[in-house]
Amino acid sequence: MTTTDPFAETPDFDPVSLEIQWQRLISIMDEIDFATVKTSFSTIVGESRDFACILVDQNGDSLCQSRFSPPNFCVVLPRTARRLLAVHPLETLREGDVLCTNDPWIGTGHLPDYILLTPVFHQGKPVAFMGTVAHLSDVGGHRGDIEAYDVFTEGIRIPPSKLFIEGEPNEFLFEVIGNNCRVPNLVLGDIRAIAGTHQIGIRRLRDFMDDYAMPDLVELSSVIHGRSESLMRSRIEALPDGEFEFGLDIDGYVDIVHLHATVRIQGNDIHVDYGGTSAQTRKGSINCAYNTTFASTMYPFKCSLVPQIPNNQGLFRPIHVTAPKGCILNCDDGLPVQARAKVTNNINQVLFGAVWPILGEHAQAGSGSIWPFSVHGDLEGYGSFSVSCLPHGGRGAMQGLDGMPPIAFPHNSSVTPIEIMETQAPILILHKEFRPDSAGAGRQRGGIGQRMTFRNIADSTIQGRVRPDKMFCAPPGLDGGVPGVVGEVRWNGRNIDRFPPLDLQPGDEIELLMPGGGGFGPVVERSTEHIRRDLEAGFISEAAARRDYGWDGPSEASTG
Amino acid sequence: MAGLRIGFDIGGTFTDLVLYDEASGRIHSHKLATTARSPEAAVRAGWRTLLAEAGFSGSQVSNAIHGTTLITNCLVERKGAVTLLLATQGFSDVLDTQREMRYDIYDLHAPQVEHLVPRPLRFEARERMDAFGGVIEELSVASLGDIAKRLERAGVTDSVESIAVCFLHAFTNPEHERKAGAWLSERLPHLRVSLSHEVAPEIREYERMSTTVCNAYVQPLAATYLRQLGEVLREVGFEREMFLMLSSGGVSTLETAAKFPIRLVESGPAAGALAAVFYGELLDLPDLVSFDMGGTTAKMCLIKDGQPAMSDHFEIARVHRFKRGSGLPVRVPAIELIEIGAGGGSVARVDELGLLKVGPDSAGADPGPACYGLGGDAPTVTDADLLLGYLDPGFFLGGRMILDRAAAETAMAGLADRMGLTVTETAHGIFRVVNENMISATRVHVAERGADPRSLRLMAFGGAGPVHAYEIARALKMQGFVCPASAGVTSALGFLTAPPAFEFARTHMERLNASSLIELDGIYAGLEVEGRRVLQSAGIADDDMTFTLKADLRHVGQGHEISVTLPCTRPSDMSLDGDLRPYFFARYEEIYGHAHTHLDLEITTCRLNASGPRPQVVLPEFAAGSGPDQALKGSRPAYFTEAGDFVDTPVYDRYLLGRGSTVRGPAIVEERESTAVVGPRGSAEIDRFGNLVVTLAE
Repeated sequence: MTTTDPFAETPDFDPVSLEIQWQRLISIMDEIDFATVKTSFSTIVGESRDFACILVDQNGDSLCQSRFSPPNFCVVLPRTARRLLAVHPLETLREGDVLCTNDPWIGTGHLPDYILLTPVFHQGKPVAFMGTVAHLSDVGGHRGDIEAYDVFTEGIRIPPSKLFIEGEPNEFLFEVIGNNCRVPNLVLGDIRAIAGTHQIGIRRLRDFMDDYAMPDLVELSSVIHGRSESLMRSRIEALPDGEFEFGLDIDGYVDIVHLHATVRIQGNDIHVDYGGTSAQTRKGSINCAYNTTFASTMYPFKCSLVPQIPNNQGLFRPIHVTAPKGCILNCDDGLPVQARAKVTNNINQVLFGAVWPILGEHAQAGSGSIWPFSVHGDLEGYGSFSVSCLPHGGRGAMQGLDGMPPIAFPHNSSVTPIEIMETQAPILILHKEFRPDSAGAGRQRGGIGQRMTFRNIADSTIQGRVRPDKMFCAPPGLDGGVPGVVGEVRWNGRNIDRFPPLDLQPGDEIELLMPGGGGFGPVVERSTEHIRRDLEAGFISEAAARRDYGWDGPSEASTG
Repeated sequence: MAGLRIGFDIGGTFTDLVLYDEASGRIHSHKLATTARSPEAAVRAGWRTLLAEAGFSGSQVSNAIHGTTLITNCLVERKGAVTLLLATQGFSDVLDTQREMRYDIYDLHAPQVEHLVPRPLRFEARERMDAFGGVIEELSVASLGDIAKRLERAGVTDSVESIAVCFLHAFTNPEHERKAGAWLSERLPHLRVSLSHEVAPEIREYERMSTTVCNAYVQPLAATYLRQLGEVLREVGFEREMFLMLSSGGVSTLETAAKFPIRLVESGPAAGALAAVFYGELLDLPDLVSFDMGGTTAKMCLIKDGQPAMSDHFEIARVHRFKRGSGLPVRVPAIELIEIGAGGGSVARVDELGLLKVGPDSAGADPGPACYGLGGDAPTVTDADLLLGYLDPGFFLGGRMILDRAAAETAMAGLADRMGLTVTETAHGIFRVVNENMISATRVHVAERGADPRSLRLMAFGGAGPVHAYEIARALKMQGFVCPASAGVTSALGFLTAPPAFEFARTHMERLNASSLIELDGIYAGLEVEGRRVLQSAGIADDDMTFTLKADLRHVGQGHEISVTLPCTRPSDMSLDGDLRPYFFARYEEIYGHAHTHLDLEITTCRLNASGPRPQVVLPEFAAGSGPDQALKGSRPAYFTEAGDFVDTPVYDRYLLGRGSTVRGPAIVEERESTAVVGPRGSAEIDRFGNLVVTLAE
């Protein structure tokens, strides 16, 4: 790392006051995050935590987020805020207004993500915004989500609107949203809950500004952004200049998609260009609006270069992202986008694939990805139900660190408890367990994948959706590590590789075999001790140990 | 018969004992080093000394209550028994996959939270219940037979001591867990068996499994230890049954404690909160925040209407001590304390952004703060407190330790250089940052429970609590703070004021309608029978029993519930629309600022709290004694935020300040265990029990 003072150019500040004030802002967002979990209605918000709480300054730049917020939402929100403000200029906003949209090109790339932005007035002036991005349960549209021809098939699109006008709900908009989804109680309940948490945040922020006699957040915001940007630049500066390229094939539900990244490190800037990436497609609803590509590009650099610095806009300024218009990473308005995470979850793998040689211990091999599934229907005893679960494959290995067992990456969310799912929907989960021999071999082994099966126990048909990943293109290994084992989906024992909404007959079973993570480093460098331990834990079978690692130990080492 | 009560607490460093003689109102206390290898040794020695000092024999003691950190330490240090897990077939790996959530979203190296049973020791049984308690697959005894075989084959049959059994939906229908438990007790009689529906009868399989495993893991150690303790008490002549302090603030019998040792896990801190409740009552302050700041951590707990905040889940043995989500979840009723890494030993540093950070790393007691002169060279909170004039280098711990001011200055100067600040600015910076860490945590804790800090006072304990209380109370616009008399025994007093209290819970998920309240009567009646039985076994008369009904309720469709105390003795006394719904909406609104009054309610868990009478402790009134003039020891410059500078500040001897003495801030009041700092806007009064009560001017 550089020895020169990274902050020579940034404005002066008091290291004590800045620490205190910054931490306090974060604790405000943590409080509204906590309130969101506790007041929400849907499992996707309450149990899966698929939402983010972000404080945005008067310009629309992000100042901080709650500690558990999914990273990508935080990078996008400022871009959304600016678009909302272009339509509803700051000077036209009144106290009690709440802005909202779910437009994929303005927001986070698909319709279920609603963005609520509430201006905070202090001494009569708007000084900041409470922002929440939350994945809500339903937005209408066709019952599938990956076979749409266009975004219009996928559900209702709310342009930048006022959800509340001076504290009064915009009943028309609420009705429009409610009338255009299948579970209005969950959707409207979550929306109202989120608006409620913003009121808590507003009170806290006003108290904060009173305590420090701040008329606005302009100065504080500029110091936070300035310091953060300077540190990020100094970290980039310490990397060798150069151009790094990597291409990766990924699953695309229908056709394989190619992602290609060229990363140029130049001085204290990073330029990422996605030229060479597949064109946008009508198949699979996997197109990415630029916003999501931009956000997913920031994430691996943030983790590798400044993991400890609270997320804020300043960190992203030195990173520049371009993607050819009309490619799958910068799709045109109107294209289907619902399942864009299929692509964005792989962006970190393309970037790590390109720059791992200069990141040392901070690069990570490919992960087994997220495997959302959900069931829907309307049945006596359960009412109208819609229950989702977000399980994962194994995580990629790193230099010196075996991959972790199933855990969220690169996003963050939590898996819905089996007992909750079974209480709310007529399904029985037959197992949720490790999938032996699924991890990519290497000096560091990838994280082991898992297996889950669920059965329809209703006496009528229910609908299931399954969104698997890495069934064709395995999670890549790095530095000679072996890729993880691809995933599989079986319907009553037969492999399927197309995923329209599944009409599950009584007794039908869906089995999900989720991939393991990619390995790191040459297999021959794996220690005998580690191989023995993996055998003992049942992560690898003896046959696989002999085949993949050349294990020649005695066979009683396996507990079977 | 006038009672003689002893409370004793085995902490990591010290074993504390306190004896209360109801007849005379006198309190005796004793402190000695914990004997880590055989903790009962210090108990034996302590009891003997204490009884001799007070002039009683062991057989005269009517009541003994015990708390311990040994259970917590056993989990934190991972020194528990070799434990097995038996789960429903297909689900034992849930112990590793957990909730699949990262506790740090940017640290790629953040280690996985490893649980206590390694995969080769996890077993599965063929059995299955559905979500409503119906049997889908009967328990296969043959599948259990495999356990014994596998243990034998691995040659670990004898080294395994404990087993946790956690089947899906066992909280709804426990029959399979009971059968498996009986089978295990018969075939593997040397194993201790923990059943999930008994340990934590609540929905969410990972959390219930985690709690059950933690219980099983500490059970053999707890059993041995409790047995030895019982023997020691008989040796010293105690003839009654000992009670154990629970993390819920209630006490339990030895038998229950040995069965569910996980419920003891936070008993020490719980006693501290109970002591605050006790002082609150004494001072007629039903709403307050207890604030205990020691060497490594600060613990805060909101007390509202004389009741400490409760939670039914917390985490222990965190990978990162202060990172939520990095520990093992435990679902047992507990007084909800927030703990943050802010103490006298918390180390200050400059981070990569050039900001001043304080804690959570602590210099501990050895080497300790730089001013201890034991070789520590990192500046800590205590060093800052010394340089700001709050502490007297010659009167630390009542003069038992001389603080090295020069060493503190040297340590501080290094940090000051890196930030381009003066030594004083740096010391004050540390003071402000550590305070803000505590202020933020307190603000959120209080707000999440729907209280307003402006109506609260701080009850300050611990070595560093009274030093920092003024700034915290000021920032939160609280009314003031209290430093209780005899701070050395404050926490142990909590043991003596704990009523026998037990919580019983049953998961019952239902959308409420008019007729369901009658159905609920039956559930609560069943819980009450259980409660009555346990209280009777603790020797409580029927007339002295109190049963409080609680329910976990939510709006229909909501993912999380809130626990409300039902204002009735049985649910059908209320009408759903006339009483219960409005009552729930009001509680909900109190916490979250809004409620969805158009929605129906759903119940998830019925809870019943069964308690005996709360033992009374009447403190002797404090002598009138001398006034401030006689108590004035001198003065020294102390730094006050409001003044922005050092102010020559009078220093008083707490022991010479008689009842009714008042002192205007700025002032420093010194006692052996701590120093109370009263800033310019505070005025302090010694009340009739000798408590230092500080009120802040508007």
